Amino acid sequence: MEFLTGLLSIFTTEGIFSPFGVETVIAGMLSGVMYSLVGIGFVLIYKSSGVFNFAQGTMLLFAALTFVSLTERQVNPIVAFTITTVVMILMGIIIERYVMRPLANQSLLSLFMATVGLNYFLEGLAQGTWDSAVHGVDLGIPSDPIFLAEHFPDNPWFDIIISKFDGFAAAVAFFLVLGLYLFFQYTRTGLSLRAVSDDHLAAQAVGIPLSKIWAIVWAVTGVITFIVGLIWADRLSVSFTLTAAVLKGLPVILIGGLTSIPGCIIGGLIIGASEKIGEIYFAPILGGQGIEHWWAYLTALVFILIRPTGIFGEREIERI
Amino acid sequence: MYYRETGQTVKNYTEDRRMVPLREDRWIMWAFLAVLFIGVPMFANDYVLSAIFIPMMVLGIAALGLNIAVGYTGQLSLGTAGFMCFGAFTAFNLLFRVEWMNVWLAFLMSGVVAGLVGIIFGLPSLRIKGFYLLVSTLCAQFFAEWFFNAYPWFLNNSTSGVAALPPFHYRFLPYQEQIFDLFGWDKDYNAYIWRYFIALITTVLLALACKNMVRSSTGRNWMAVRDMDIAANVIGISVGKTKINAFFVSCFYCGIAGAMYSYCYIGNLDFMIFNLRRSFLIMFMVILGGLGSILGSFLGAIFVYGWPILLTRTADAVFGGGTLDTAFIENNSKIIVGTFIVVLLIYQPMGFAGLWNSVKHKLRIWPFKT
Amino acid sequence: MSNGVNGKEPHMVIENIDLAFGGTKAITDISFTVYKGEICAVIGPNGAGKSSMLNVINGVYIPQQGSITFEGKKFAKMKPHSAATMGIGRTFQNIALFSGMSVVENIMTGRNLMMKSTFIENALGIGRSKKEEILHREACEEIIEFLGLQSIRKTPVSSLSYGLQKRVELGRALAAEPKMLLLDEPIAGMNIEEKLDMACFIQEINRNRGTTIVLIEHDMGVVMDVSDHVVVMDYGAKIGDGTPEEVMSNQKVIDAYLGVSHDD
Repeated sequence: MEFLTGLLSIFTTEGIFSPFGVETVIAGMLSGVMYSLVGIGFVLIYKSSGVFNFAQGTMLLFAALTFVSLTERQVNPIVAFTITTVVMILMGIIIERYVMRPLANQSLLSLFMATVGLNYFLEGLAQGTWDSAVHGVDLGIPSDPIFLAEHFPDNPWFDIIISKFDGFAAAVAFFLVLGLYLFFQYTRTGLSLRAVSDDHLAAQAVGIPLSKIWAIVWAVTGVITFIVGLIWADRLSVSFTLTAAVLKGLPVILIGGLTSIPGCIIGGLIIGASEKIGEIYFAPILGGQGIEHWWAYLTALVFILIRPTGIFGEREIERI
Repeated sequence: MYYRETGQTVKNYTEDRRMVPLREDRWIMWAFLAVLFIGVPMFANDYVLSAIFIPMMVLGIAALGLNIAVGYTGQLSLGTAGFMCFGAFTAFNLLFRVEWMNVWLAFLMSGVVAGLVGIIFGLPSLRIKGFYLLVSTLCAQFFAEWFFNAYPWFLNNSTSGVAALPPFHYRFLPYQEQIFDLFGWDKDYNAYIWRYFIALITTVLLALACKNMVRSSTGRNWMAVRDMDIAANVIGISVGKTKINAFFVSCFYCGIAGAMYSYCYIGNLDFMIFNLRRSFLIMFMVILGGLGSILGSFLGAIFVYGWPILLTRTADAVFGGGTLDTAFIENNSKIIVGTFIVVLLIYQPMGFAGLWNSVKHKLRIWPFKT
Repeated sequence: MSNGVNGKEPHMVIENIDLAFGGTKAITDISFTVYKGEICAVIGPNGAGKSSMLNVINGVYIPQQGSITFEGKKFAKMKPHSAATMGIGRTFQNIALFSGMSVVENIMTGRNLMMKSTFIENALGIGRSKKEEILHREACEEIIEFLGLQSIRKTPVSSLSYGLQKRVELGRALAAEPKMLLLDEPIAGMNIEEKLDMACFIQEINRNRGTTIVLIEHDMGVVMDVSDHVVVMDYGAKIGDGTPEEVMSNQKVIDAYLGVSHDD
């Protein structure tokens, strides 16, 4: 009974419909943008080649670790940035050439498992090349909070604190999505990419070089992953825990439908908000903190049960 | 050259559906079982039992469990360690709280409980397919980790997060005390030799049961759903029931593997070890060993578990003890295992079991080629 | 239900079926009757909606309108599973075998509805498990013999040729001892010998087992030879229905097949 009344009180003006509740939701959505950022690389690769790239989190760690280790060795940050970018591009091309291309035409499950293997390989490589210590990173991204209440002193609904860091992440996400949109819509390569993602065979038939396109996608993803990795590193510092980013990205892209970048952004907002609500309102009733891991997946599960291919996912008619 | 089926004829369908059709294979199998049941206990020391044989069997069963879901039924699962966790805690609580409980029944129940949990998290498979199913099994994994942390009653309120498994938990024989008295054995029931026997008997029984299932309608239904679910539905196989059944059996195996992990292998109960990394390691065993292969599950377990040990031992032997630090070993194992996975997926998608089969095929037709 | 035109008993009556995917209409208002024990061919140009029609009959697609009456029982929609239970077997245009299993295992799956042993019995090898397995194996071996698949019974189906795979698929459908068989292009893409073999199999199944057969085929020679009854579809609608001779002389059918100039 106590459990039920507790549960019900969440959905009242005492709960998420209070100013504090709204703040929770907004803060959650903003932190969810970080998850969307991880998802973008996922979606790019899945959309173009059908590969569910589990190695995304480790690529992120690899990039961040490379950059940090270089700067710690007194390399000029700009040079380190350039080197890491080149490394990530090369990595993308190598992965495409030596892992994905030989596996083309295999089942989606095989491709997924190859990326799981790749993930393990990169984990060993990243920590073997550099080290497994925790590296602090400060890129000078502001992280002090903004008190909206200062600007709207009389209205309790504006008693909201927003972290500048989350705002920064949201801005990065915005520019990444905008950049990708322009790239897809207005460049020849972007056009080929869209063709490939619609139909591999048809694209090949009209003379689009598949492997070149895939190499480009992997390289672009490598670079995006690096940028995202920097933001994550600034927040969490660089260590093995950074690979957990992939686990944050998974429910996000699955809600979004695997092939849609807008879906990935919205998925991030949903998961972020749901995590915060869960942590603040549901965790006490359920009997313990730290529910956010499975809570995020439960949220995703609910959405997917309603729409089995995510919010923006493509539903296929099964022909037989 | 003596290894071929020439001259071996089957006269009826009972003979035709033997588990091991070739006479030579049957000899090898009996010899192998004899070694496991008699040779190993006679000659192996505690280190070999505890660090090699027991963990390989335990992980083999876990891999077999995962293989039933992924390899035989095509349902992707990353929650293996979570299901193992439910199994381990069930066994512990039964043996700790129920006076008349014995190890065998506790293991059975841990399988059943994990299986029921598996059904709950498998239910979404009725509606969602493919990668989207990852959500459900990962949810199970994280839920298990959180649940046993949030409710320490299941761990006998141990503050350290680890519960010891005292010798009196190991009740595996009727009239155990009297029998031990009779033979004048030490009454440390949790000695490695007993743990080895418990693990071995469980492993052999579970492997046999799995073989029985995959050569009967149960296994055919699993594989039909894996290969083409629409066609399976059209010929009257209930796809939903089959998936749920596979989730139950898969998690039943994982649950028992979890109980074995605690009772036979590490000798205490610790929910921290049933983490996502463990799930992934078991997934590697399945991929490397061979999807949809019982033998492969064990081969994969032996490789993934054994490789770091082999590397350490070799390095110790060559360069003298302790030259390589653990981080180096760990990173190298990761690189090697990762490379192996990719290379095998490219050249031998059926894993070690596939390699083994092609070797057998070559032997059978030797001296001719292909 | 009254007896049909030629004094035969209807096995399945299809009435006013409409099927659309989103905005595209696949089938418009189709009705026809399949009589017990006959070979009924559904023909028509590519994209006429023939395969969709079979998919509606055994419940893979759910029609927006219309009904199917099978053996006197009327359904607004079928379910694949209940279609199988009622005795409707099926082969597919693009082979839908279970590629990871051997020939005999594939055919054994066809008998799954008759196998009652639970997974516990199977796991422990107790109860009905073993007896059932042997019993049904015998039945499957009869089919293997009938289709001449003895030498490849243990071969994985994925390594077989196209023609043989089609034969195995027929075997799997046959193993369920269906009352009605839906065959989607059973002889398409085969060489002449394989075609003749398959045509013989179909006729033998029809004659010796009394199985009603509905088949889709493009090879007019074979269709006219084997079938008792032909339904012609074009653009999702029925344009002809009758004996092969009647259909062959139907002007609409000739137009659909040979093309017609629209300037008159």
